[in-house]
Order: sequence, then C-alpha cells, then structure tokens
Amino acid sequence: MKGPRRVVAAATVLSVLVGLFLAGTALAQDASPAQDEEIVFIAGTLNDMRTVNPFRAFEAPEFEVMDLNYDLLISFEKDDLAATPNLATEWTPSDDGLTWTIKLRDDVTWQDGEPFTAADVVFTYNFIVDNELSGLNYLPFTDAIEVVDDHTFTWTTTAPTTAPLTPPYVYILPEHIWGGFDKKAAQDFKNYPNMIGTGPFQLTEWDKGQSWTMEANPEYWGGTPKIDKYIVRKYDNEEAMVTALREGEIDYIGDVSIDLFGSLEGVEGITTNIGPQTAFTQMSFPMCFPDEPTADTDCMKTGTGGHPALRDHTVRLAIAHAIDKQAIVDRVLQGYGSPGTTVLPPYNRWRVDPLAPIGFDPAEAERLLDEAGYLDSDGNGIRNLPGGGNDLDFRFILRSESSESATAGEFIAGWLKDIGIKTRIDVVTDNKLTDIYLSNDFDLYIWGWGVEPDPDFQLSTYTTRECGYWSDTCYANPDYDALYEAQQKARTEEERAEIIAQMQQIIYDDIPEIVLYNYNSLEAYDSAGWTGLEENLSPKPQGFLWAQYGRHTALTVQPRALAGPSTGPSGDTGISAGVWLGVVGAVVLIVVIVAVVRRKRSDEDLA
Amino acid sequence: MGSQRYLIGKIGQALLTMFFILTFNFFLFRVMPGDPVTLLTKTSNVELNAEQQQQLREHLGLLEPLPQQYVTYIGNTVTGDLGVSTFVDPGEKVSTIFFRDFPKTLVLVGTSTIASVALGLVLGIRGGWRRGKALDISSMTGSLILYSMPEFVLGILFLLLFTKYLHLFPSGGYRSVGVEYTGLAYVIDVLNHMFLPWITLTLAYIGEYYLVMRSSLLDVLGEEYITLARAKGIREKFVLRRHAVRNALLPTVTLVALSFGFVLGGAITVELVFSYPGVGKLSFDALDQKDFPVLQGTFLIFSVAVLIANLIADLLYGYLDPRVRSMR
Repeated sequence: MKGPRRVVAAATVLSVLVGLFLAGTALAQDASPAQDEEIVFIAGTLNDMRTVNPFRAFEAPEFEVMDLNYDLLISFEKDDLAATPNLATEWTPSDDGLTWTIKLRDDVTWQDGEPFTAADVVFTYNFIVDNELSGLNYLPFTDAIEVVDDHTFTWTTTAPTTAPLTPPYVYILPEHIWGGFDKKAAQDFKNYPNMIGTGPFQLTEWDKGQSWTMEANPEYWGGTPKIDKYIVRKYDNEEAMVTALREGEIDYIGDVSIDLFGSLEGVEGITTNIGPQTAFTQMSFPMCFPDEPTADTDCMKTGTGGHPALRDHTVRLAIAHAIDKQAIVDRVLQGYGSPGTTVLPPYNRWRVDPLAPIGFDPAEAERLLDEAGYLDSDGNGIRNLPGGGNDLDFRFILRSESSESATAGEFIAGWLKDIGIKTRIDVVTDNKLTDIYLSNDFDLYIWGWGVEPDPDFQLSTYTTRECGYWSDTCYANPDYDALYEAQQKARTEEERAEIIAQMQQIIYDDIPEIVLYNYNSLEAYDSAGWTGLEENLSPKPQGFLWAQYGRHTALTVQPRALAGPSTGPSGDTGISAGVWLGVVGAVVLIVVIVAVVRRKRSDEDLA
Repeated sequence: MGSQRYLIGKIGQALLTMFFILTFNFFLFRVMPGDPVTLLTKTSNVELNAEQQQQLREHLGLLEPLPQQYVTYIGNTVTGDLGVSTFVDPGEKVSTIFFRDFPKTLVLVGTSTIASVALGLVLGIRGGWRRGKALDISSMTGSLILYSMPEFVLGILFLLLFTKYLHLFPSGGYRSVGVEYTGLAYVIDVLNHMFLPWITLTLAYIGEYYLVMRSSLLDVLGEEYITLARAKGIREKFVLRRHAVRNALLPTVTLVALSFGFVLGGAITVELVFSYPGVGKLSFDALDQKDFPVLQGTFLIFSVAVLIANLIADLLYGYLDPRVRSMR
C-alpha cells in the first residue's frame, strides 16, 4: 500500500506548489511599486557619514553632502579650478588692497523659501572669525566684514590680501537658522533633518550607517539637476560594492582600491576613470631636537626627539638618494601614481617642478655619508655617527591603516639597509601615530596629505607656529614663515605664484620630509546607463568624474535614455514573492508530510 | 532546600561576574593609548585651544580621580546610562544607537540560530543513531567542512555564487535604496537581502550542534541502561526517544543557551561581508572609528547577554538533571 500512497502525496505536493507559485506571482505583481519615473543616481562608498555639521565634518562623504546642500561664495572653474562666480557675481579690491567689495546674486533663495541676502554671508564669516571655528584659515587678516545692501558686502583686512579669491572653502549658512547659536551650540547642532542650504540638492533621508538620500532642489539658481535623487549607499565590503556596480545596484564608485580597479577595467557597460593626483604620501624626519631648541619655539614639550644624525642635512639627502620612488609607484601603486617631488601634487595649478631634482642614486648616497664621516667604525655592518658614535639605527613608524604606505615603508627599509642604515619598523594605528608625532618621539614615519586646489593650508603646515598642531615635523625656518605670510598678502596671482614656487623649493631642498609618491583617485561608473560624467571631467587634463571641486557633474549627469523602464529606479536583485512563497510552502509541506508519514509509521509500529 | 541553595548560588555567581565585567570594562578603556580629548581634536574638525580642551576634560569627568570616575561609571551604568557616542553618531545616546540596530540583528541571527540548532540536532540524532550510514557520513563530512570554514569565507563564496554568477540575490544591505516598497513587496525585499547572510550563518553553525549532539548520543548509547532497555524488549524508537535522546540533550543545552547569548553580539564578520547594519557591524564601526563610549556600551551589553544566557543554562541544567542540583 505504501507505494501508491507516496505517489499520491508527491502529486499533492507538486500541485499545491504550482498553485502557490502562481498565486505568489500574481500577488507580487500587485505589490510592485508604481513606476513614478523618478531618476535616481546611486553611488557606493566604504566611508561612512557621521555628521553634516560643517564645524564637525572631516570625512569625504560628509563634505560631499555639504558640497551639494550648500554653496560656496566663489567656486572652482571646471578646467583649472581657478576662482569662478558662484553666490558672488563680482569682487573688486580697493586701491590699497585692504577692502574687497563683493556683489551677490539676487535670485537665490534658501531651500526653505527664505530669501538669501548679504546678511547670511556676513553672518557666516563673522561667526567663524569670532568663534575661531573651522574655516578660519580661509579668512586671514580679517578686520571687519559688513553688509552694504541686500546683495553687497565688504571684507576689510588688516593687510592687503587675495584671500577672498582663494576661494574660501566655507559653506554659506542661513542666518535665520544658525544665528541664535553660540560656539558650542553650533558645534553640537545636528543639522538634520531640515538641512537648509542654497545648493542643488538637499539631504532628505539618512538611514545611519546604511544610506543617505539627497533630493534635487527644483528652485536651484544654477538650474534644476537632471536627476531627481542622489543616493549614497555604504558598504563594508569592497568586493560586494564592486559586484553591486556590475549588477547595476549602484551606478558609481568613487574610491576604488588599486587591487579591484583592474577587475572593473574592460567590463562591458562600465567605464573606469583614472582621476587626478590630489594627494601625496611622505616620509617625515624629526626637525625638533631636545638639546638644540630653536629660538622661537618650544617644540620639545614631551618625547625624546629624533636620532641626532637626522639633524644633518647630508644624512637626509643621502636617504633621499637611496629611495627608488619609481619602483614604489610601479610595484606598490601598480602604476596608478607618480614619484613625488614637491609638497603640492600634480593636479595643483600652483605646483612647480624642483630646480635640482634629487634622483635615485645609492652610490651618491654612500659617497655623501662616507665623506661626512658616517662610517661603519665598529664593523657591525651599520654606519656610525662620525668619530665612532652610535649606530645609524632609526625607529621607522608605519601606518596599519594604509597597506600601501606600509609596503612602501618596507621597500625603503631595504634600500636604507643597502647604504648601511638600520631601521626598526613599528606599525601603529593612526591614533598612536598622532600621539607619536605630536610628542616628537620618532626617527622616521610615513603619512600623507590630500591637498586642496588652493595651497594656502598645505603650505601653512610647514610654518613654525604649526608645531604641535598640523606640522608633520616641527620644521622651523623663519625665511619660509616670512614667505608664507607674503603669499597671503600678495596683490596679484603672478606675485603669489612666484612666492609659492620658492616655498616649494625650500621644502624640497631642506628635506624636512620626502614626498614619496602622488596617487590617482580611481573611479568607475555605469556608462551604459548614464551620460554627462565623462564629458565633463574636471580639472583638465586628468579629472574627476564625480568627486569634483565645484560639483559640475552633479548638474549634468543624466540617464542615457530618458524615460523607458530601464531608467526608473529598480530594487536590488532578488527572487520574487512567488518564488519565496513557493519555497516556503514547499518547506512547510515537506515538514508536514514527513511528520504525517512518521506518525503513520509509529502507529503501525505500535500496532 | 538543595535546589534553592543551587539557585541562590548561581545567581550570586552571576552577580559577582557582572561586577567583574563592569570593573574590567571600566579599566580596559582607560589603559588604551591616547587621550580622548586629544583624539577628538585631532581627528574631528573641532579646533580647541588648551583652555577649551581642559574644559572638555572637566565636562567629560576626566579630571576627577579614578575612583570617583569609577563610582560615577557604575552609577550611570546601573541606571541604564551608557554614555554618548563621539564618532559613530556624534551626540546620540549609546543605548539609542544600539537598540536602533538590534532588531535587524535579532531577526537575522536569532532565526538563523534557531534554524541551525534545529537542523543540527535533528541531523545529529539521526547520525548518532544510524552511525556509519550514508546520511551520517554525508552530514559528518558536510559538518566538518562547514564547521572548520570561517563564516566570512563561506559568505564571500555565497556572494560570488549567488550574486556575481547566478544574479539571484543582492550584494548587501538590508533593503533596496531609491525605491519605496510597502507591504508585501517590502517584506520580500528585506527577505532577499537577508537570505545570503542568513543561509551563511545557518550553515556555518549547523556543524557545531551536529557534532555535539552526535557524539553525546553515541556516549549515551554505550551506557548500560540502554542495553537494559533493549534487553527489556523496548522498541528501538522508544529506546532512542525516551532513553537516549533525553539524556544526550543535556550537553547541548549549554551550547544552545550560550549561542542565544551571542545573538545579541550579532555576527560581526557576516554582517560586514554583507554590509548588514546590525549590532555586530556597529561594534566594528565603533572600534574602527575609536568611538570608545559605543564600544564600551556594546561590550557591556554583549557580556551581560552571555552572562544571562549562561545563568539560564545553569538553571535549566539543574532543572533537567537533578544530579547537578544535589551535587553541592
């Protein structure tokens, strides 16, 4: 009897499954959302957004959201990142160069409908100056910033300056929202929901740690964006993020790692872009020595200071000759970068090439050290201080949070060994390294900088007063400090460029740090679905697709084919409700049938 | 009398452990390198002068003597105040952040634990009972492979297979973005996103339960009372169900109870592979961003969960096996 019963059971299961599947499919179709033709551009990131308060932000996604939600007074020209009108339409200095009169657009409204006026700009700048908030370095020598009329204000300085044209990377905030805050309240303000700016997009949804959504501002003075929504989706696994781009779940990735970039090259429908080199990685030397305090700094508050050999320019020069920067670019960066020279990376229009480049030349390095008396006097294979002093044995600190720079450090340790210098590598977290460099407790370390289009801030980090703050090395050079101030006071761009060139040369020649390499930003996007990105790369000749200064492509990106089912938003890959119901139904049925059959058998057993 | 003492003893032990955890948690985060205020000013864009830094230290209670800080910490913790996040979600209460992410973890890890316990035990019983048969050998092999493979490796393999090659499931997250699903469509969307992490976790843990159940059953089957039961002529099914399995289940009780304790900790590696926003990912983010209050809070909740699960296991054990109660 068992045989036929099983057949009957199997047939029942099958028919019920088919029935469920059909019912499920019908249900799923009912439940699918109406196509509302919304155009949504989705980016993937590994980097989380934690705050949208401009006085607290420091991560790239945070600045990206603020870039789109707010406006700068003056923006960056697409091709060479020069100052270009934005909220300001024109600016004129007085004859003595001390007062700038700046005219503003009169057709701008805040995203909540309030009119934008000169009072908002004056409020924002004064608030930063009065409270010494982040952004202060863009507003040097400020004496007074005052409203003239609704669309005009003046900026008076104590020294002639071109700082207004830097342009100041300060988001213009609405006085009617931020006006009532003191410093602490401003820094604690969440600024979400209702993040009010004048920009082309507004942050409207934020699923913390998961995704955030910006909606296009239809009233934007620069024209309505061609997409309705820009969404950023956070991933914790880069493999998954790259797969999501290939699957069409996301449309753009802004910071692809070198290892995965290759896997996206040549994929149909995806275009990769080798973006500009805006960042560099450097090896820093200790420029503060405990027994030799510089006249006007007390750089040595804590710590032990560096190895005495490193205060000798000859030793630093020899080390520079021993490093094969091209090999690092080829082997660590897989070619996505260039050997470093000065402290401004290649994309920067203020960069100059060094007058007398220090090339890779180990023989010259050895000759320099021999000549200066750094010989291996105790025969242990390591050079000693002149006159038979200590070994040239350096504590070399590398970052656990950057595998590329740590690998570069290992190469360098090998090259230094070749010229008779010993290193002890210590790999630490960025926090630990912060403690170490602030307390001058190192011989060598590797870290890096991303550099803005305007070089003011980067150049300020080498001034004497930045020791203990932003200075990598506590480098102190009064000539350099004077030049730094001179470039802030320059009356013309030519004059400023001349000074900045000298400053780059001084750092390059003095070698407080060695710029090891510059690296490319690597981007990829769904070029089968989108247009308006590659056509508008910025800056020239090697530009960003999306992560641009000035956010040009946020207004130009659009679907390749407007309208049509493929451009509407679609959910992620997945199996339909019908299949789910079918699977669940099948599992339930199998369990039920097994139970029934077993019970029957038990009954038979008992009988 | 005996059972009451057992109960009181176990609870007392748990309270003592709890106190130790609190103390350890307090000091652990104070021996870590780096002053929190220096950290805050260096890694966020907040520029503070020396005086303001000192004010902040005072505000955070860092200037008080350590014993005083300790008392404050215990007091705050007991009243449910776990502090305020510094980086993950600046200014938000740690408890709020935790319980925002917790439901997602509960659904994922909770249901997958139930599934792997159920499947593992059922297969373990079958395998132990019919030792050496086809089912036993295949599930033994499968269990050993899954048990020894790190769950994130399994996760990445599934990601490659189901997403990259079969295009069946999404690459990560817990829902689609950019589309407003409601009702059934929303449930299906979440199910689709949960499937890969769920199946990874379920398969990765079946082996553990299977192996423990199987070996425990084999032990019991060798006992004399089983032989006696058989000698009395009791049917094999009843020998298995009434005599063998009941006793063999005891060791698995501890394992299962502890597993549910770990549900609260989420599944860090699997949540990361699939970018699933649960508490496992939260604790990773906190560590990554050096958000010590969040880290401290999650550590505490995880430890307390395991502690409570342990206590339940102990009590359950005492209930199931009277010998344990009377042993002291």
